Amino acid sequence: MTEAPHTVKSYEEELKNLNANIIKMGSACEEALGKAIQAITTRNSDFAEAVINDDEKIDKYEALIEQQVVNLIALRQPMAIDLRETVTALKMSSDLERIGDLSKNISKRTLLLNENLPKNLVDALNRVSASVQKQLKSTLDAYLERSAPMAVNVWEGDEQIDDLTNLCMQEVIKYLKENEKNLDDGTHLLFVTKNVERIGDHTTNVAEQIYYLVKGEYLEGDRPKGTEPIVSGEK
Amino acid sequence: MIKIKAKDVDVFYGKKQALFNISLDIEENQVTALIGPSGCGKSTFLRCLNRMNDVIDICSVKGKILINDFNINDKSCDVVRLREKIGMVFQKPNPFPKTLYENVSYGPTIHGMAQSKQEMDEIVETSLKKAALWKEVKDRLHEPGTGLSGGQQQRLCIARAISVRPEVILMDEPCSALDPIATAQIEELIDELKKEHTIIIVTHSMAQAARVSQHTGFFHLGQLIEHGSTDKIFKNPDNTKTQDYITGRFG
Ligand SMILES: Nc1ncnc2c1ncn2[C@@H]1O[C@H](COP(=O)(O)OP(=O)(O)O)[C@@H](O)[C@H]1O
Ligand SMILES: [Mg+2]
Repeated sequence: MTEAPHTVKSYEEELKNLNANIIKMGSACEEALGKAIQAITTRNSDFAEAVINDDEKIDKYEALIEQQVVNLIALRQPMAIDLRETVTALKMSSDLERIGDLSKNISKRTLLLNENLPKNLVDALNRVSASVQKQLKSTLDAYLERSAPMAVNVWEGDEQIDDLTNLCMQEVIKYLKENEKNLDDGTHLLFVTKNVERIGDHTTNVAEQIYYLVKGEYLEGDRPKGTEPIVSGEK
Repeated sequence: MIKIKAKDVDVFYGKKQALFNISLDIEENQVTALIGPSGCGKSTFLRCLNRMNDVIDICSVKGKILINDFNINDKSCDVVRLREKIGMVFQKPNPFPKTLYENVSYGPTIHGMAQSKQEMDEIVETSLKKAALWKEVKDRLHEPGTGLSGGQQQRLCIARAISVRPEVILMDEPCSALDPIATAQIEELIDELKKEHTIIIVTHSMAQAARVSQHTGFFHLGQLIEHGSTDKIFKNPDNTKTQDYITGRFG
């Protein structure tokens, strides 16, 4: 935070603490997503198990942040930038929690996969995942820097993720056609791809919050859209 | 609709300048809150709006104050009529040492607003009703006003102010001597009163400014630093000084 410190030091501490917890929670999500992708693309069960077990940590951050936000509102009545810090922390933590959940879901499906995956599919999955991971990292950087332009960059990058998701979906559909006997694996892969895309969406939500936090106004206009989804799910 | 337009107002106490080039538009039938640290000139500005600074010998006011497009600093302004139109409520409830009835009927008597006892009774009753005090005092109208609780006294002062049907009501920290319940009653009253009056309130409580007003002006060292919708000032002020003040980061 770049503002001058509060006259009341304990208030200052509470806001700093909230800020630190968002960053810790964000890092935990980055780690979960990274491990979940590595686990599925390299078939590493240990990593998958770790993601599943560590999700509890992320849930606890969410609960803690919610409690801190409620306390701040009840006891400090934050105004202006402090109000935005407080309210966006609540919203960001709920998007981050979803990112944790979706990473865990990818890992659960990873443990259920039977066959090795074709190289084209792994490559496509790696491409979309790498892009989402980069978005998440940029988002957390934007939060640290309180940078609206960085948040806008992330927001605009969501389009590319939609495109890469579709390319990955095409590979999964090809896999389903070629491996009719292995419908289970194919279905898991469909969900995994969709989950990666949704992690991208939650990341974009966080970026929107950061923009509001810094600017005090909402990003205008519709979120940039890539190609129409091949398999649509709820947004 | 703009009710009051302050244009380039400077105020001096002797050689010391207390307000610098203040320009501010006040919307009709809305509540405007003035906030800022002690000594920044809020009360001085408020007193410009009904020429109360006239009574301070060393005080001189420059610039224009247009009320209904008429410059009240003009020589032709009838100050008695002006104060009838612009009522004022102070920090410390200051009922006259007279009965409740006399407190409220005082203004209407001076301004010859009632032709009969019955008409005066009606003015007193409506004013007390509008000040949300009628129910509590209707059976003791002829007891002294000073016998009321602090919150009741303040509502009596509001009844006294509205008895002459002012267009504008100026309130200088009207709740700072009141407990939270009496404060809530005054705040509810302010919300009601704005339907018929334009209200300007000076308050030290940021939360109160946020609760009661639609517009907020932030004063600092005699300057109007920022003014705008209350919503904007408390969610996303433009000026860092405003933000520092309302978030408790000042000095
Ligand atoms: N009657 C007065 N005589 C001399 N100086 C005054 C008088 N009233 C106010 N001032 C000065 O003018 C400045 C603004 O005061 P005031 O309008 O009372 O501020 P606020 O209401 O914001 O606390 C202060 O520096 C104060 O000392
Ligand atoms: Mg004052």
